[in-house]
Amino acid sequence: MASPIVENAQIPTLTKSITEESILQFESCGILDRQNIHNNYELAAQRLGTTYTLASGRMSITFASEALRRFFGPEVFNHTGSVNLKFLRPVKKGDTITVSGSVVQQDQVENGTQVTVQVECHNQNGDTTAVGQGFAVVS
Amino acid sequence: MADEELKLFNYDDIEIGEELGSYEYVLTQEMLDNFRASVQDPDACFPTLAVKHDATALNMVYNDQTGGVNAGNEVEFFNPPIVGKKIFVKGRIHDKYLRRDKPYMVIEATAVDEDGRMLERLRTYQMKKPDEVGKKWHPQS
Repeated sequence: MASPIVENAQIPTLTKSITEESILQFESCGILDRQNIHNNYELAAQRLGTTYTLASGRMSITFASEALRRFFGPEVFNHTGSVNLKFLRPVKKGDTITVSGSVVQQDQVENGTQVTVQVECHNQNGDTTAVGQGFAVVS
Repeated sequence: MADEELKLFNYDDIEIGEELGSYEYVLTQEMLDNFRASVQDPDACFPTLAVKHDATALNMVYNDQTGGVNAGNEVEFFNPPIVGKKIFVKGRIHDKYLRRDKPYMVIEATAVDEDGRMLERLRTYQMKKPDEVGKKWHPQS
């Protein structure tokens, strides 16, 4: 990040389409070939009572990470960044997830300034699917 | 590992600080490409998120028939993993607690590569009564 960070600065807004293919492809990256509520309709129905599988919450973490990486720059975010999200509603195929956020706090720390960003994820209906914070340390 | 070789997961029996599976794997270009395609980000560089280090560590030790709903994640990034390098993962039970009469478990995994570079620390907050969440999402059913 070349210029000083302004309070209330907005991070880039991202929109992601969730498809069955993207959910399954994300799951396929694992090193254990396991059935779960993300890739098995029967398990999702049995455990959650849903007629659909869920997108992993880690997909939302990844979306938020992308928005934060674009804001801080990869050299900063990939080495000092962190993301905390609480998942409020299910994300499933057919959903469109929009990530947005703004700077809410800056604190001096040993290696620079820790910048805190309030992050939210919404679906196509405007419902909040996840909320939390992102952080990075800028020098 | 076959499920019958694993310990049957029982929420009451797990202990805070308990070590979970330690394991290693090599990050492949295919894993990275699949991850990037799945999240529609050609520059995404932490495919380790999709490997789910903490849940994998749990699944290497326990046969969890309960399942759970991911209530939240915390991730810290230190260095992007490099394709072709071995990644070493250690997992543990970070915390367990009741909230609104629902049992929660926090699992954690730390990943380091073969050169000793710290990559990522991931925590997952699992609610271990997934049917309760289903009822909340579908109160009519």
